[in-house]
Amino acid sequence: MSDMGVFFALLGAVLAAVMAGIGSAIGVGMGGQAAAGVVTEDPAKFSKVLILQLLPGTQGIYGLLIAFICLTQIGIMGGSSDISLAKGLLYFVACLPMAIVGLISAIRQANASVSAIALVAKKPDQFGKAMIFPAMVETYAILALLVSILAIFGIAGVNI
Amino acid sequence: MAIVPMKRVLVAARRSDRKPILELLQRAGIVEIHGSDLQDDVFGRQDQSSARASFEKNAAMAQEAMEALARHAPENKGLLSSLEGRRTLPLSGYEERVGRRDEIMQLCRRILSLDREFAQKQEQLPKLESRLAALEPWLSYDLPLDFTGTKKAAVFTGSIAGEVTLEQAEAMLEEYAPEVTGREVHLISASPEQTCLFLVCGRRDAPRLQEALRAMNFARPPLTSVNPAQAGEEIRREIEALRAQIAELDAQIAELAGQREDLAFAQDYFTMRADKYSVIGELAQSRRVFLLEGYVPAAECGALEQRLTARFSLVFEAEDPGEAEEVPVLLENGAFAAPVESVVESYALPARGEMDPTTLVACFYYILFGLMLSDAAYGLIMVIACGLCLYKFRNMESGMKKSMQMFLYCGISTTVCGFLFGSFFGDAVNVIASTFFHRPDISLPAIWFEPIDKPMQMLVFCFVVAIIHLFVGLGAKFYMCVKAGQLLDGIYDAVFWYLLVGGAVGYLLTVPMFTEMLGLGFTLPALAGQICAVLAGAGTLGILLTSGRESKNWGKRLLKGLYGVYGVTGYLSDILSYSRLLALGLATSVISSVFNKMGSMVGDGVFGAIVFILVFVVGHSLNLAINALGAYVHTNRLTFVEFFGKFYEGGGRKFEPFAVRTKYFKIKEEN
Repeated sequence: MSDMGVFFALLGAVLAAVMAGIGSAIGVGMGGQAAAGVVTEDPAKFSKVLILQLLPGTQGIYGLLIAFICLTQIGIMGGSSDISLAKGLLYFVACLPMAIVGLISAIRQANASVSAIALVAKKPDQFGKAMIFPAMVETYAILALLVSILAIFGIAGVNI
Repeated sequence: MAIVPMKRVLVAARRSDRKPILELLQRAGIVEIHGSDLQDDVFGRQDQSSARASFEKNAAMAQEAMEALARHAPENKGLLSSLEGRRTLPLSGYEERVGRRDEIMQLCRRILSLDREFAQKQEQLPKLESRLAALEPWLSYDLPLDFTGTKKAAVFTGSIAGEVTLEQAEAMLEEYAPEVTGREVHLISASPEQTCLFLVCGRRDAPRLQEALRAMNFARPPLTSVNPAQAGEEIRREIEALRAQIAELDAQIAELAGQREDLAFAQDYFTMRADKYSVIGELAQSRRVFLLEGYVPAAECGALEQRLTARFSLVFEAEDPGEAEEVPVLLENGAFAAPVESVVESYALPARGEMDPTTLVACFYYILFGLMLSDAAYGLIMVIACGLCLYKFRNMESGMKKSMQMFLYCGISTTVCGFLFGSFFGDAVNVIASTFFHRPDISLPAIWFEPIDKPMQMLVFCFVVAIIHLFVGLGAKFYMCVKAGQLLDGIYDAVFWYLLVGGAVGYLLTVPMFTEMLGLGFTLPALAGQICAVLAGAGTLGILLTSGRESKNWGKRLLKGLYGVYGVTGYLSDILSYSRLLALGLATSVISSVFNKMGSMVGDGVFGAIVFILVFVVGHSLNLAINALGAYVHTNRLTFVEFFGKFYEGGGRKFEPFAVRTKYFKIKEEN
């Protein structure tokens, strides 16, 4: 059973990358469909709608970030991977905020992105404002990222 | 750092001078002309919409012709050609082309008619090709397809769906028309789609056989008066001729590519004239006089008056706009802040009585961007790329130039932050040294500290930046209130919040649990805590009593005050929001490290070096693109939501002077 520690820690890392990645893939895909529609009408708006399409893509990157930090901390990327079960579970739990919030916020952000793309299609001069609406959603992904990072770094110091 | 003061001008001049005056104003591009409402027996507006429409039509035609030309003779444009800006056209070249404008429009018409013909011919091609394809199964048949028989014998040609053998066809006929005996069936061709048949029977039986064939869904062939092989040959010749014509037309249009400049000029010229006529339509005019009203930047006003009065006899009046007037807004800033004007503009221009926030925005904009991207190498790439573009394309349009300058400054700040936090392509220095030179001891030391090792310290730093940023915003609010003569409002809405938030932060610093959690390494003494608590309490009380001050009823007023105090949670979330500085900064460096690690996995040696370089170039390009985008978006967000939320609303109207709005040429004045 003592080997299970590293298993749970790895499970957490993988979940963070997978779930946030799925969310971003869905989100960027939704944005891409809307953006492609705009570009068929007006190719000059390409760069603007591209930026809006990419906004829900950051959750996937945050997920990768958490996964990577977690992998280095638990020694999968080299070093000793001898972790107690309790610590492994702690790592698992620490990864959850990023995994869950990443998945959901990316999709919600994509909804906002799609609407923002529609806004830019009609009023290209309002791009600055259109960008802010999806960025508001991202705040919560960032907060989750922060909690996950602080938790993962904190676990190293916990004595169990 | 300011909103440019405007003067309201009124020009009354002779109608005979209208054209040169308007042209002078258009080229000067400093007057925003307003429609006049003057409408009496003497003055009235002239309807110029038909003249304008005809110019607009010409401009559209020139544009269409240019597009057609681009289809037939694509222009060789470099990747960066959009940075080049408009070409300069001396006045003599301008006059020369204006003289040829009818000729140029003739050319437009010619290109368009050639292009139309080209399109028509091209549409015919598929029709011919499908006719040829329809004949394909009949090529072995050596009678004309419209041949219906002789006096005694009837002939049917046609196809049935699906592939059938001769025996199957016979069997089907047996089933559908058993009574027709003297018949002959030949198979001409068979494919999985259709089987082509040739049938002969006596004239007498013809109606019955026809009936049977209809029941079998027998489809008539494409009719030809000669045999199919000949007909096919004819169509083939026709297609060839058509292709030759199309190529000829294409070449004819492509030959005109040398005149592209003329077309571009025509488009510019007619757009300019359409603009002018839309202005003329707005002017109040009498039989001999016209009036022109508008706004001019105060600094330019004197020079404009001089230029106008020197050449024409007219009346020029300038006055300061009234208090209630909605004056158009033009921002003017120094080289440091001007690049950020577009950011402010994309939020909203300052409304009447508000200050121009550009300089304040600029100070923090560059820093926040740098903190989020925070990689020295990425910063240097941005600086070099923007610097090169600015150096190479000096003729760049001003909007593009400002964005380039903005990213140049952001790049500088990114470089500085990168060195402060020890990131140069992430940990590339260390990875390269240890993989290829076996010197793991070499690395780029952080001048300050590495956020990945001390995330808590970085987080605290982010909160410090947050508090400074927000307090500067509050300061701006106070400044605007004082400037508007409402000192009390300034105290109520800014100073009380300074007390509350500042006091609360100060008090937290005296709580050992809190300082330990943040790893500050110091705790303020209890006395400071008491002072801070008093300050915060005073602020709270002040907000409670004053934030509902527009209500006369004290009950209502206190309730509104309570709601005002609740706004402190807004400050909490505002400050927490700056943790994105840490998150995005870490994202850049960690993803860089991931790519470096991936690249170095193959080990050293030539092959390892090649893999490393490939992964390095692709990975870091991707990382730079995504994180620069993230930094840009979130810097805007912090500016718009957190910073502007404290003091700035905006709502001003942009100053849009009557100017030469061309796409291709800048006409150079010769005076």
